[in-house]
Amino acid sequence: MAAPPTQIERGRPAAPPAVTQRVRQWGAALGMPIASVLFAFVVGAIVIIVTGGDPVLAYQSLLCGGFGASCSGTVYPALQLSETIVNTIPLILTGLSVAIAFRGGLFNIGAEGQLIAGVIATTWVGIQFGTLPGFVLLPLVLIAGTLAGALWGGIAGVLKAYTGAHEVVTTIMLNYIALYLLRYLIVAGPMELKGQHSVSASIGAGGQLPTLIPSTAKLFDLPGAVYRAHTGIFIALAAAAFFAFLLKRTSLGYEIRAVGQSQRAARYAGVSVSRTIIVSMLLAGAFAGLSGAVQIAGLRHNLTDSYGPDSTGFDGIAVALLGQNTAIGAVLAAVLFAALHVGGQFMQSNANVSSHLVEILQALILFSIAANFLYSFRLRLPGLRRARSAAPTIAEQGVVAVAPDRGPPAVPEPDKSGSV
Amino acid sequence: MSVIMGFLQALPGLLQLTLEAGVLLLLPALGGVLSERSGVTNIAMEGMMLTGAFFAVVIDLSTRNPWIATLGAIVAGGLMALIHAVVSIRFHANQIISGFAINIFAGGLTAFLVDKLFNESGGTDHVAQGARLPYITVPVLSNIPFVGPILFQQNIIVYVGLLLLVVINFMLFRTRLGLRLRAVGEHPQAADTAGINVYVLRYGAVIASGLLSGLAGAFLSIGILNVFNPGMTDGRGYIALAAMIFGKWSPVGAFVACLIFGLGEAIYANNSSIHISPQLLATLPYLLTLVVLAGLVGKSTPPAADGIPYEPGAE
Repeated sequence: MAAPPTQIERGRPAAPPAVTQRVRQWGAALGMPIASVLFAFVVGAIVIIVTGGDPVLAYQSLLCGGFGASCSGTVYPALQLSETIVNTIPLILTGLSVAIAFRGGLFNIGAEGQLIAGVIATTWVGIQFGTLPGFVLLPLVLIAGTLAGALWGGIAGVLKAYTGAHEVVTTIMLNYIALYLLRYLIVAGPMELKGQHSVSASIGAGGQLPTLIPSTAKLFDLPGAVYRAHTGIFIALAAAAFFAFLLKRTSLGYEIRAVGQSQRAARYAGVSVSRTIIVSMLLAGAFAGLSGAVQIAGLRHNLTDSYGPDSTGFDGIAVALLGQNTAIGAVLAAVLFAALHVGGQFMQSNANVSSHLVEILQALILFSIAANFLYSFRLRLPGLRRARSAAPTIAEQGVVAVAPDRGPPAVPEPDKSGSV
Repeated sequence: MSVIMGFLQALPGLLQLTLEAGVLLLLPALGGVLSERSGVTNIAMEGMMLTGAFFAVVIDLSTRNPWIATLGAIVAGGLMALIHAVVSIRFHANQIISGFAINIFAGGLTAFLVDKLFNESGGTDHVAQGARLPYITVPVLSNIPFVGPILFQQNIIVYVGLLLLVVINFMLFRTRLGLRLRAVGEHPQAADTAGINVYVLRYGAVIASGLLSGLAGAFLSIGILNVFNPGMTDGRGYIALAAMIFGKWSPVGAFVACLIFGLGEAIYANNSSIHISPQLLATLPYLLTLVVLAGLVGKSTPPAADGIPYEPGAE
């Protein structure tokens, strides 16, 4: 659901019965994401067939591997599920990061850079204050990562609000600056561990999040230590709940949504547009920074060069779009993409189809959402038309969110949002 | 003193590399200029370049002919651009999402095909020395001291790129086609009223950006290097985007930006004589672009209708 009905619509006497309307809204909200995923899988199947693979076996391996179903004897279902949880955690958070910016009418393509800023700050604090006890150090590292991410996102917000610099371009630039800064720190730089190449020291034990399965336990014939799923999942879910609460129940959330739907209308309603833009980007950066913090505290414990090819921040864009910029949607989409990533490895070994198929599927989902093929071809389910018009899809909203900003302002706008 | 002497000795080689790296960025940047001047936001140069780089190597390995390979790369880049064009122009999609999806799609597809064709070895086979795009030493001119080796001992694509710069700059600002293209990017409704076909020009400009990016991909994979590795463009398409903005959406401006960024890359590659952290140096193009975007060094304003799908009758 991209745009919740306004107060006026809710109170309108001619509105259909609440239950019917809710069903229609859910149908409209779920229809496009599901259709997009199906579209991607159909085109993906064609790619598999053309390259001489077996799509049925490939998709069976992909889904079984991802969701831990034991449809093959060679896989450990619980282990696969644990890996899917590991991958879900950062995706929920970067998805929320991109989603909150979208809700404010901004395109945060910089979750990757904000995540890296969070990763660096978390590790630095975790090493510097590594001897502190856990109940101090753990909150400290998480806050450090969150603040660093917020700062990185805030730069783009301030530039947008005061100079009109387009956030898409500034966040792309900030991504690369963060990435090279990370490389500078660990490749023969000040944070490189002595006698090692391109790794930093680990953060103090107190700053590390516990895993879900104790390492001493034994589960499904495997030692507990192989299960990497960690308690960061609760942090991610709490962040999703916070996201929903913020947008639905606070005046700040109202302001963000108002600015996202129409800057001009928001300004006439007395909302400070430039302040809201900055706050939106601070929040977006905070979610992505927390994602980096949780990755360090829960999983990696140190800096490595692996954040270069890592694409968690970029995957957040797909998560937010597929999740229609809602908290529940982001969680569900994150689970799906995490399962695809985990299942992709299994598909490669089991069906001999390259795991890079997952990236192709992800791109196809994005194309489908962006172009809104379902809408364009009028392939809508009967009865959904009215619900859809009440709740514009994000592809429509996305166009609205990005396009008018770059067009000539209809009235003089003091924050110069009309130029990049 | 010895530091300065070392620097002077390294300078011609450094500037030679600067021009090469600059033209590699210039080609996709020119593509970006054309596409955005017509009103279609394009962040997909990275993906189109990667596609070109892959198909150049694959075709070169089977035909052993770098010219056919380059042509194939150009076509492949153009086809990627066609997807972006159809999704953005026909389906009125959000052009940033579409361009971003192109980049993921190209990265996934090329890595997928590398796995398929080269048995998951992580890269393609190497192109034979004789099947690469040649370096050309211009007789007589290359003997000019200092300037000769910098300007006249370059890969053939460097000369092609400089020629394209002149042609595109002339086309954009001195011909009727260029005027129409810019009109479509600034005010499509007015252009349409004047009888200009907005869609044709936009399709053409976006596809041209793919052709140019595909050529850049071939230059990278079978000119400068001789192999394809997944993700080998390493953000160059995004640097080209930065160069386009830095150069204020003009071909010559973009070229100046490409040379500045190319110098950074040359120093990064040839760091023996200049002692700056290469990683910190690598942030320079992006920092400079942020400074320009912030309006500290003159305002950089995109075409007025950039990124807005055209709807006839809408105003």
